Amino acid sequence: MRFLSRRALHGLVLLFGVSLLTFVLAELAPGDYLSRLRLDPTVSDETIELMNERLGLDRSAAARYFYWLRSVARLELGYSYQSGEPVAGRVGAAARNTLWLSGVATLLAWAVALPLGLWLAERRGRTEVALASGATSLLLAVPDVLLALALLLLAVRTGWFPTGGMVSLGFAELGWSARLLDLIHHAALPVTALVLTIVPTLVRHVQAAFGDVLDSAFLRAVRGAGIPRRRRLLRYALPAAANPLISLFGLSIASLLSAALLIEVVMSWPGIGPLMIAAVHSQDIYVVLAVVLASTVLLLFGNLTADLALYALDPRIRREGE
Amino acid sequence: MTILESIPRALAILLVAAQLACGAPGSEPAPAEGPGSDSPSASLQGTPGGRLVAALRAEPGTLNPVLAADRPAQTLRYLTHSDLIHINRETQLTEPALAESWSVSEDGTLYTLRLRRGVFFSDGEPFDADDVVFTFEVYLDPEVASPNRSLLIVHGEPVRLEKIDAHTVTLRLAGPYAAGERLFDSIAMLPEHLLAAPYAGGTLSDEWKISTPSDRFAGLGPFQPSVYRSGESLTLKRNPHYWRRDSQGRQLPYLDELVLRFAPSEDAEAIRFQSGEIDILSDISAGNFVALAASATSAELSLRDLGPGLAYNFLFFNLNELAGDDLPAVAARQEWFRQLEFRRAVSEVVDRDAITRLVYQGLARPLGGPVPEGNRLWRNTALEAPARSVESARARLRAAGFTLGADGTLRDPRGAPVRFSIVTNSSNRQRVEIAAIVQEDLRALGIEVQVVPIGFQSLVQRLLETHDYDACILGLGGGDVDPNSESTVWLSSGSRHLWAPAQESPVTSWEATVDELMTRQLTEIDAAARKRQYDQVQQILAEQLPLVYLVSPNVLAGAHRDLGNFRPTILEPSALWNVHELFWTPSRKKP
Amino acid sequence: MTSRSARLAAYCLLALHAVAALPGFFAPYGYAVQDRDFPYAPPTRLHFFDARGTLHLVPFIYGLRPDEGGSYAEDTSERYPLRFFARGDSYRLLGLIPSSRHLVTVDAPGRLFLMGSDALGRDLFSRLVYGGTVSLYAGLFGAALALALGGLIGALAGFYGGRLDSVLMRTSEVFMALPWLYLLIAARAIQPLDTPPARALLIVILILGGFGWPRPARLIRGVAASIGRREHVLAARGFGASDLYLLRRHVLPRTGSVIWTQGALLVPQFVLAEVGLSFLGVGVSPSIPSWGNMLGDLQHFHVLTSDWWWLGFPGLALVFVTLAYHLLARGATVTSG
Repeated sequence: MRFLSRRALHGLVLLFGVSLLTFVLAELAPGDYLSRLRLDPTVSDETIELMNERLGLDRSAAARYFYWLRSVARLELGYSYQSGEPVAGRVGAAARNTLWLSGVATLLAWAVALPLGLWLAERRGRTEVALASGATSLLLAVPDVLLALALLLLAVRTGWFPTGGMVSLGFAELGWSARLLDLIHHAALPVTALVLTIVPTLVRHVQAAFGDVLDSAFLRAVRGAGIPRRRRLLRYALPAAANPLISLFGLSIASLLSAALLIEVVMSWPGIGPLMIAAVHSQDIYVVLAVVLASTVLLLFGNLTADLALYALDPRIRREGE
Repeated sequence: MTILESIPRALAILLVAAQLACGAPGSEPAPAEGPGSDSPSASLQGTPGGRLVAALRAEPGTLNPVLAADRPAQTLRYLTHSDLIHINRETQLTEPALAESWSVSEDGTLYTLRLRRGVFFSDGEPFDADDVVFTFEVYLDPEVASPNRSLLIVHGEPVRLEKIDAHTVTLRLAGPYAAGERLFDSIAMLPEHLLAAPYAGGTLSDEWKISTPSDRFAGLGPFQPSVYRSGESLTLKRNPHYWRRDSQGRQLPYLDELVLRFAPSEDAEAIRFQSGEIDILSDISAGNFVALAASATSAELSLRDLGPGLAYNFLFFNLNELAGDDLPAVAARQEWFRQLEFRRAVSEVVDRDAITRLVYQGLARPLGGPVPEGNRLWRNTALEAPARSVESARARLRAAGFTLGADGTLRDPRGAPVRFSIVTNSSNRQRVEIAAIVQEDLRALGIEVQVVPIGFQSLVQRLLETHDYDACILGLGGGDVDPNSESTVWLSSGSRHLWAPAQESPVTSWEATVDELMTRQLTEIDAAARKRQYDQVQQILAEQLPLVYLVSPNVLAGAHRDLGNFRPTILEPSALWNVHELFWTPSRKKP
Repeated sequence: MTSRSARLAAYCLLALHAVAALPGFFAPYGYAVQDRDFPYAPPTRLHFFDARGTLHLVPFIYGLRPDEGGSYAEDTSERYPLRFFARGDSYRLLGLIPSSRHLVTVDAPGRLFLMGSDALGRDLFSRLVYGGTVSLYAGLFGAALALALGGLIGALAGFYGGRLDSVLMRTSEVFMALPWLYLLIAARAIQPLDTPPARALLIVILILGGFGWPRPARLIRGVAASIGRREHVLAARGFGASDLYLLRRHVLPRTGSVIWTQGALLVPQFVLAEVGLSFLGVGVSPSIPSWGNMLGDLQHFHVLTSDWWWLGFPGLALVFVTLAYHLLARGATVTSG
């Protein structure tokens, strides 16, 4: 329990630091949200001054930051200069879309990588392993942008897949099964791109983790005892290899919001990536702050989940913590 | 007669008579002859029903017409609201909208507008003079901070609106104002019955937010907002009480539903248009237009090249009076920029045809003055793009004391090599390419140029605040055709007087002349005289080259071929300007 | 086998970096040189046999002329043999030595577009070579900086532990969470406009490195911490060895292999970071070619639909470089482990 409260405190300090620094950075960047209007011949200076006042841009940076902190306490996370609405709703919707994309992709990637990595670790030194590791090396070397662009090209050329967005029009009128199909249809390409970017790294780590364990004296002894393969792997190897994998899973969670950024931009997925880029470009500061805050929370949550899991599973760590 | 399309004929005749009687509404100059000036085709009878999917480049900031500051929000205002006197996007002339007729007093300061009767908001409540009074009160309230407010400040004073009876209002201006009728366009009539309470309570800016589209909304436009999906789309449904009818008296609009899909870039739009996920598209870039025409689905699409629009690109130099010794390097280079012959040499050496051909695939027009061809009413047709001549440019520079060194570098009379940088906004691919072409062209004169694409915010800051730049490539246009719409650019006191903004008194004599002519045309009620004055302004601006005018890109639009009455215009909102009469022809298979 | 492939990868990378260091020599033209008569030209075909079937030992090319379809046809009336080490556009070798020799070029008015040309008639192969300079060295120097910072901070944190450790590690967490997109935009805005492209690149490098140190730092911290607790180090301390001595003598050398492996893994990541940034329009200035900028052009509908194949080249180059670095990293792990 003390462990948890210490972590929570750390987390709060981290969140505060990150938000403050982000705010300072945003202040350093030139211009503000109204810069765009300043070149528009149809908008007068007087109007810009009035809007400046209405948006609170005339107040000092410190005042605006404190305003934002208070707004965070109300769970509004500030308001967007663009829509004049609390940021939380907008960022929440985008985060939901991103999580749907990257959550599915991460689960799929793990579902592929675990058995594949295990299988490869068992067959060390054989040709199929060399082939597979060649393939993962190659995939590892293909940047996600390139994958996304290639898949987009596929969609444009063949017309088999939607070329952007998350649902079809008239989604609301569909039955639930048709809705699910529509979602899958739209998510197919971005999810594929993301899975292909995550899988090679995962396979590598799984392979390495199991490789170490299978080599260990402990597992050789287990094999010597004649315990059948299935039981050997699941009952003995898996727990022994769990530690690095749990840390890795924590990282997977931590990167849920950020992993798909470029893919979202290329495939015009209405997620957190395009929202953030647009907000950075238009200096919609509170939106940027909220996005950064959300991904930091997820980072903390990922680390915490991993640590708790380790704590629960590994008696050594439990002892160290006490 | 075509101006008055979709208004019952009897009424139309009546209106023409009214216009003849009071003279003033005919104050637009006659359209000049030009490639695009052939009279617009008449509207077809449509079949009701169906859903149209259009693209919107970004999410609108608000559904509140008073606060619409970004283009998507302005498009939305056009679709969901109506104004009293409307600028017909096709003819570029004013036409009656919610005011069925109007007259102007002798001295040009008092407008009397007679409102259309039997008009209802989308929620079924009637529209009358009280709504008009309320609307102007809101727009003019400094607390509300409407971006349109400045349009209603004429000669330094807010316009004064008074109700005469339930269907008559008067508008008083502080002095005669040439663009008087045009100021009514885009002033969306608000429902007093819904907004009076929030306005009195100071919460008007909380009304009609994007996330609550169907919440207590009432407008006079062809559509009303219904469903919003964050990051995806905004669905508008037909306004059953819309005031326009087609020539057979059928209630408009024809379409049941208009879906605005948010596509984050012009490329995402084009991709979805090609794959049929979007039915109608404005603002297509030249490259994408050519690619769409060559694409596999092009037979399904109707692609229109409307010729040059109102937008234009130009290069300009920093001519600010720099205070103190802040920027000695820039100040030193300004000695070249201030020389007219230097600017003329630059203008002559720039290969406008190459820009047209390479950057715009031929879908643009070289430009020799500040008003592009798309402005049929006001362009000074005598101003042509200068013929490219490296020789003549060199001769000009020689005459001004510049010399070409042995190493091929141009040197000024003091022997300093002529080098400078050109900034532009990095988000605009065309401008970066234009800059590359200008850079290469200036090399022919021995001038070494560095192209520096920067973010838009820092560009604005450098242009308007720090003045720390040498030269800049930028674009303007897209507003109205009236000379007034860009007066803050041409007046030396204007804050968008790009090359040296917000001067206390004009620095040069020609800027003083421009100021005087621009002020005079503002109050000139005689259209022909006003055109002469504005022609003169254009002539001075073409001779003095405060901006080196480059090209004016064509306006390109497209729609599914089965969309009836698709007649995009160069004025915004281009393809959607006549959304009330767009319809699906029967050959379209129902979605 | 691994060591052999690692060595091969090392040679390939060395060769690539050498090419990227001397782009002026290896590229037939300057990256900004336009031939306005030939926008969107296809890759020039190399011929050995002329129209009459005669064999030429030095390959040659034909000139281009526009055909009816808006594309180009070969004009077989004149042959332009490839010329090696011939004079062409002038440039400065390593930014210093003026030269105009090019590895391979053809006599004007012939035009050698090995990978075709872009919208302004600029040679894409030359742009790829110049772009390599930006992308490869931004990655390399950025990673070097990140490693130096990360190595130092990680070693300090791991060696001393305690409060310093926790402060440094919390700082690294903050840095990992920050949106450094902003910093790039801010830096671009603050720098003077007459900053030469080379110095503008330096800013990208500084930011990549300045924000990339936390990950290597955390890894190296782990190694340093375990070394610091080993018996011989504790013994040395017992004999009165100073911290500086211990760090220099015992900790840093042991972290060497980690640093090398990390380096080989970080460089391609940083090359990709440059690509990502430029792709989003906040990286290297779009007026100079980089692989990210070139790839970013693929976002345009008309490029994606009609010219995707030629822009695949920067993509292939990226895959190749990343692959080579990964092989190198594997080699480093195997030799050290």
